[in-house]
Amino acid sequence: MTDYQVVIVGGGATGVGILRDLSMRGISALLLEQGDLAHGTSSRFHGLLHSGARYAVKDPVSAAECIDENVILKQIAAHCISDTGGWFVQSSEDAQSYVEQWIRGCAYAHIPIREISLADAYLKEPLMSKDVLRVFEVPDATVDGFKLVWANAKSAKRYGGDYKTYHQVERLILDNKRIVGVAAKNLVNGEEIMVHCEVVVNAGGAWASQIVGTIGVPLDVICDKGTLLAFNQRLFQRVINRLHPPSDGDIFVPHETITILGTTSEIVDSPQENQPREPEVKRLLAMGEKLLPNLMGHRVIRAFAGVRPLHREDSEVPGSVEEGREVSRTFVLIDHEVHDGVEGLISIVGGKFTTYRLMAEKVSDWVAEKLGNTAPCSTAKENLMSEIPQDLRKQALRLLPCVAAEKMLERLGDDAEEVLTKIMDDPRKGQMLCECEMVSVAEVEKVASDEDSHHLADIRRKTRLGMGTCQGAFCTYRVLPLLGLENKKFDPLQDELKRFINQRWKGIRPVLWGQQLRETELTRAIYASILQLNENPG
Amino acid sequence: MWDGIIVGGGLAGLLAGIRAAERGKRILMISEGVGSLTYSSGVIDFGNVAQLVRQDKHPYALLGESIVRNGADYFQAHFPDYHGKWREVQTVLTPLGSPRKAGFIPNGLNAQVLHDAHLIVLMAPEGMKDFFPKVTKANLERAYPQCVVKVHPFRLDAFESWHTLGKPVNGMDYTKYWRSASGTGALKGVVNSLNQELDEARSDPADPGKSVVVFPGLASAFSNSIKEVLSDLPFPVVEMTAFPPSASGHKLYDALKETFGALGGELMVGTGVKQVEIQGKRCHKIIVKSKGKDSEFSARSFVLATGGVFGGGIEVTPEASKEMVFGLPLYVPDEWTNSEFLGDQPYARIGIEVDRELRPIDSKLNEVILENVQVIGRMIAHWDPWVEHCGGGVSLASGWFAGETM
Ligand SMILES: Cc1cc2nc3c(=O)[nH]c(=O)nc-3n(C[C@H](O)[C@H](O)[C@H](O)COP(=O)(O)OP(=O)(O)OC[C@H]3O[C@@H](n4cnc5c(N)ncnc54)[C@H](O)[C@@H]3O)c2cc1C
Ligand SMILES: Cc1cc2nc3c(=O)[nH]c(=O)nc-3n(C[C@H](O)[C@H](O)[C@H](O)COP(=O)(O)OP(=O)(O)OC[C@H]3O[C@@H](n4cnc5c(N)ncnc54)[C@H](O)[C@@H]3O)c2cc1C
Repeated sequence: MTDYQVVIVGGGATGVGILRDLSMRGISALLLEQGDLAHGTSSRFHGLLHSGARYAVKDPVSAAECIDENVILKQIAAHCISDTGGWFVQSSEDAQSYVEQWIRGCAYAHIPIREISLADAYLKEPLMSKDVLRVFEVPDATVDGFKLVWANAKSAKRYGGDYKTYHQVERLILDNKRIVGVAAKNLVNGEEIMVHCEVVVNAGGAWASQIVGTIGVPLDVICDKGTLLAFNQRLFQRVINRLHPPSDGDIFVPHETITILGTTSEIVDSPQENQPREPEVKRLLAMGEKLLPNLMGHRVIRAFAGVRPLHREDSEVPGSVEEGREVSRTFVLIDHEVHDGVEGLISIVGGKFTTYRLMAEKVSDWVAEKLGNTAPCSTAKENLMSEIPQDLRKQALRLLPCVAAEKMLERLGDDAEEVLTKIMDDPRKGQMLCECEMVSVAEVEKVASDEDSHHLADIRRKTRLGMGTCQGAFCTYRVLPLLGLENKKFDPLQDELKRFINQRWKGIRPVLWGQQLRETELTRAIYASILQLNENPG
Repeated sequence: MWDGIIVGGGLAGLLAGIRAAERGKRILMISEGVGSLTYSSGVIDFGNVAQLVRQDKHPYALLGESIVRNGADYFQAHFPDYHGKWREVQTVLTPLGSPRKAGFIPNGLNAQVLHDAHLIVLMAPEGMKDFFPKVTKANLERAYPQCVVKVHPFRLDAFESWHTLGKPVNGMDYTKYWRSASGTGALKGVVNSLNQELDEARSDPADPGKSVVVFPGLASAFSNSIKEVLSDLPFPVVEMTAFPPSASGHKLYDALKETFGALGGELMVGTGVKQVEIQGKRCHKIIVKSKGKDSEFSARSFVLATGGVFGGGIEVTPEASKEMVFGLPLYVPDEWTNSEFLGDQPYARIGIEVDRELRPIDSKLNEVILENVQVIGRMIAHWDPWVEHCGGGVSLASGWFAGETM
């Protein structure tokens, strides 16, 4: 007897994409995620919806996949994407021969490019370095990873798909070389559960080898850490790439009011090693200067790092294991029956955020065939989010400042109705709890009461609370009472608060100077002195 | 020619100015901003003095315990609105209603009475920003398990239009209102109606007796009118400390300024010192840019009280750290941070190394750099107010010492 036909391990973009695809084909599936959705690499990345141009020279397969998916996602996930466009910029240090190769590569992959005059370019991007020779426009865009992941999960749910967060898969269960289920632990209450199924999909990203390792199946995944810097302003209006062979610190991606510069590439031992370090930060700043002079004069609000899962078999180029960027960015499907004699288990490794839907389609095709389901993939045709009703939007605009209203609608979709009702009942709940990111008291209250919010960090990911320039000094304090009201759900408050502050601190430590340092003094004063959350021997 | 110029008018600078002016010196104080007191709760902590005077290079160790004590005594003599005793620990309530330890506290904040209370009435001003009655109630219940805690909400006509619009009223707004003539009347009304309610409760034979009222957003210190209203009440009132901005901290700032002015001190706020003139080991002049033109001021001695990183006296970039007025060398720790945010953070010990006279020194050569400059408050190196809990204490001790010796 099975509980579900399929269990998906991992709730990043790939996992939720598979959940949606299978659910739309009428296959019953459960997704298990050890943290909150997008707790892995899918919320610790650059947020660039690639046009493919970055891979046009070295990796034509990836380039072609990217441009196809780019077009599809702009259609089906418009609310998660900001169609900023992107530029590739040749600086005086960048070789002309590479530019020629790149132009040919883009043509080959059908990536539309258009050269822009320098005069026009400086008009549009006044901060861009004067040391630029040529500028090309490409259809890059920016994507909010967290929103996209949740939109997939919600869409899957409408088709009957299930997911459980804070459930860590501890073991795959075998019956005579055939997968029959998984054993998982609820990390919130410690409960052990068993789920029976016919197929297990391993979408564990950088953790993928640990998951199949529980039954002794080998899977060589390289963990390639990349560090990113967030600046407190929108330095550029569009994605700016340097036109040279992909390297460190050569892409700026604007998101709402901030800009993210990345990335670095360093092989690490495990996906947990995602602490950004000061030397990486300095390297990024030095490289970024090439496109934006006096970069150090701009305020960095945090550094963060994600870990790319790369499949080792792709990396037969000598020396490429040490240099993560050399490994192909396309993905591989591993049918463990073929490789290891274990039936009903498939791993999906590698790829990019941009290609998550395509990866999900390939996995789902394989699963469907295995289960004898003949429904075709329909994920490219249907929008992820149902349209926001006009009257809901009007109501939001009446109750909240315009920007705050739009941001909330994008974050919550239909669920915004609950928040608006709260504000109508008590106008004070329309006050901004997080002034940097424009999150209202009512919205935080709603998100805190969601069944799948267990930590302050979950609320942060869902609302962006505490991600702004104040580093959460004020809004973290203001969110406490709301957590307090959610009886028993959150840990004793002070521990929760300390853990949250320490998490944020991790990203601030490597960029602790200037205004950031002043904010740190204030934050420490508030929590150590005014609230006295640490030991006072006095 | 001034006797002394103090650059930076926070707690340390103002206390130095008060002491020097009292000694008959002609003092000019130049301050870019208003300092950190408005952010602070107005509480003054000394930390574990006995231990810190033995901690290598700590400002307390340089000054010695008797000077730390002189600073404290001096402050207390001039500001009777503060309560506390040398080496005695007071208890105040945090903005979340938990008890915390404190050194000197504005009168009205002493939470000691809560230990013997049986009933706590928590006043809950309608819509007060950053005050959370339910959390505060729960924290009070946890800290004082012998007590029943009742929340007493009230709203004021004066803020009616704010409430309708959903506009926040912060603690400073409430305090300001209570201090106005109509506000004092309203406060009487609020406490009288509370008193009646408590009277009824008192006549109830089941009533446990001793009641204490906990009141956020009040700040009675330095306000005779509020003190008068409270003095008539048959129950004690305990104020809570505030989340920034804090009226109590702000009132202390005002009182310090007023005292300095009354003693003949001259204060310029809103302009920063950008440049100085030095000959040999002495500073002669400072140059201030104000409204587009430069003004020069000369003095016999100078005090640097620019508040460290938070006050703006130190700027740190990825490449270098800089003291902004005299360009003095800084102590910069090699390791900059630790993983525990509220634990020891090396960066916090950045500052200027000084000798026992608080003059800046070159620690390698063990030589005084500027003979007529003293460094005080958060500008001094080798202390971390957030783990040592001695922010106010270091400012008072070093400020008093500079005022005494300049
Ligand atoms: C620095 C950096 C920048 C990047 N920038 C871009 C970019 O700009 N554009 C782009 O398209 N791509 C980018 N990428 C790549 C992209 O982020 C990843 O390819 C993508 O997010 C991977 O998604 P995923 O779902 O496969 O993995 P993940 O998001 O990591 O999901 C795997 C999930 O599995 C969960 N899991 C692991 N073990 C278990 C277990 N035992 N039980 C339950 N759950 C488990 C994890 O918690 C995790 O949430 C970047 C990557 C990095 C590192
Ligand atoms: C949020 C917060 C809470 C606190 N809580 C407590 C507490 O509970 N207990 C306690 O004991 N202490 C507390 N403190 C610490 C205490 O207030 C500080 O240690 C102390 O006020 C530092 O005083 P200071 O005079 O050195 O600096 P500041 O008060 O920062 O004053 C420095 C002044 O110098 C001025 N300045 C800077 N550069 C120039 C320039 N170039 N020219 C002219 N002027 C300049 C600034 O504008 C400012 O006015 C708290 C501080 C904060 C910020």
